[in-house]
Amino acid sequence: MKPKEKALSALALLGGLVFLSPVLYSIWMSFQTAHSYYTGGFDFTLSNYATAIGQFNFARYLFNSLFVSGVVTIAGLVVSTTAAFAFARFDFRGRDLLFGVTVATLMIPSHITLIPNYLTLAKAGLLDSYAGLILPAISNGFAAFFLRQYIRGIPKALDEAAYMDGARPLQVLWRVIVPISRPAISSMGLYIFLAEWNNYIWPLVAVGKEDLYTLQLGLARLYSVNPGEGLIDWPLVMAASTITILPVLLGFFFVERHLVRGITMGAVK
Amino acid sequence: MLMPKLTPYLLAAPLIAFIAVFTYLPIISSVDLSFRSWNFMSPEKPFVGFDNYARLFASDDFWHSLSVTAVFAAISVPLRLALALAIASYLKREIFSSRILRGALFLPTITSTVSIAVVFSWVFSTDYGLANAALTGLGLGKVPWLQDPQIALLVLILINTWKQLGYDVIIYIAGLQAVPQELYDAASMDGGRRWQVFRRVTVPLIMPTTYFLLVISVIEAFQVFTIINVMTRGGPAGATDMLVHLLYRTGFVLFDIGTGSALAVILFVLLIGLALVKSRVLGAKVHYEA
Repeated sequence: MKPKEKALSALALLGGLVFLSPVLYSIWMSFQTAHSYYTGGFDFTLSNYATAIGQFNFARYLFNSLFVSGVVTIAGLVVSTTAAFAFARFDFRGRDLLFGVTVATLMIPSHITLIPNYLTLAKAGLLDSYAGLILPAISNGFAAFFLRQYIRGIPKALDEAAYMDGARPLQVLWRVIVPISRPAISSMGLYIFLAEWNNYIWPLVAVGKEDLYTLQLGLARLYSVNPGEGLIDWPLVMAASTITILPVLLGFFFVERHLVRGITMGAVK
Repeated sequence: MLMPKLTPYLLAAPLIAFIAVFTYLPIISSVDLSFRSWNFMSPEKPFVGFDNYARLFASDDFWHSLSVTAVFAAISVPLRLALALAIASYLKREIFSSRILRGALFLPTITSTVSIAVVFSWVFSTDYGLANAALTGLGLGKVPWLQDPQIALLVLILINTWKQLGYDVIIYIAGLQAVPQELYDAASMDGGRRWQVFRRVTVPLIMPTTYFLLVISVIEAFQVFTIINVMTRGGPAGATDMLVHLLYRTGFVLFDIGTGSALAVILFVLLIGLALVKSRVLGAKVHYEA
């Protein structure tokens, strides 16, 4: 690297650190005792994490978030990929209508579904259950649209060769289309996982039982136990917050480019 | 090739079923509920015509909430776009330093909004927060950021901008990189100064991207909920009671399903209108590859 480039990189790093300083400082604070936080000084401790996990059930919330986001991602990918395959590769009556209906969901703001979905799940007895958290999140018009575009770009000769060999549609999907679409599928998987991981309003209305809290819900409740200007145990709250963002933060460093590519493709194409 | 006719329908069925049950039926049922009076509990849901809409249009809460939301959009959208375009024009080159900064800017867009709300509640808390520590360090007085109705909304706008900026920057960079370099070269050959090249070449050429971001961020502004629910609960004195928060309060705190649904329908019509503008703009103009 040239000296000028090195200097620029150092400056960029500094700028990035300043920009992210509130979050970075919150992570730093989570390793401090409440006493030292309020009196000045720094006492390193892991006790905030122990309290969040032991006393406030954050291990459970972490499991719930992983489980719900994981199932939503897998189920969402399966239904989006099969539908995308149908839209991209088959000629059938009503195809354009069904595809149009799928794409139109991109324009529908989710708040309109809030009250009716609550009522639907209440009627089905699925409020306060994992199913209630998962089911409304599975369909994803964007993923279906994106994958359909991607699959259309795959040469049809590949499918035809497989059909010649006697493969059935699902085998063609699984052996030919899915392996080639891996980059698109993993981009969409990340996108669905992140959206579900960070989802707040739906768990807020669909779940009352503390056992089923996701991290987002658990963190919001922990903070609102003592909001305002009382003596909040900020280091404890920041430990909970760090547990909530850490998986995303860690994942980010591995998949940043993937993610950015997915997002710009979605927006500019 | 012989293929059973049913195959594509079976492949698409699960997605279509989920979309029907959890996206389209809810729209119909929201419209239906908006003409009824119901509180979740009572066995009857009497039809009341346009009463819920009339009540909304006559209520101060609704107009107040609409104006708070409009103010939020009017300040946050231009702020986001201007900052993002300025930053993107510095970061559009594919060099190491700009990749670092892009990464840092992008991180908040994928970070949990609840965490961000909690962290900034601390930053802007009156007695122990970072913001006031900085002010007192400079010899200035403390500001009650989230307790002052004049300031609280601005604080939320700032936080929202901080969170979303990276997305706008990434989109702008994709747009800027699609502008042919020759155009810049030609403009600077003609003796255009940097600012002039920016104003006369970059800004017009990047217009489709600007439209796209404009509509997206207005739609987003109309859907802000999480930071309000965590940080201010619509307060102080209703100063941050934006539309989706009002909807949540009406439906899930006051259990007024009819009025909540009417509000949802009004907001839906507003946002669909905006989304249609977006798809027309997109369909007509934006056609470059990322």
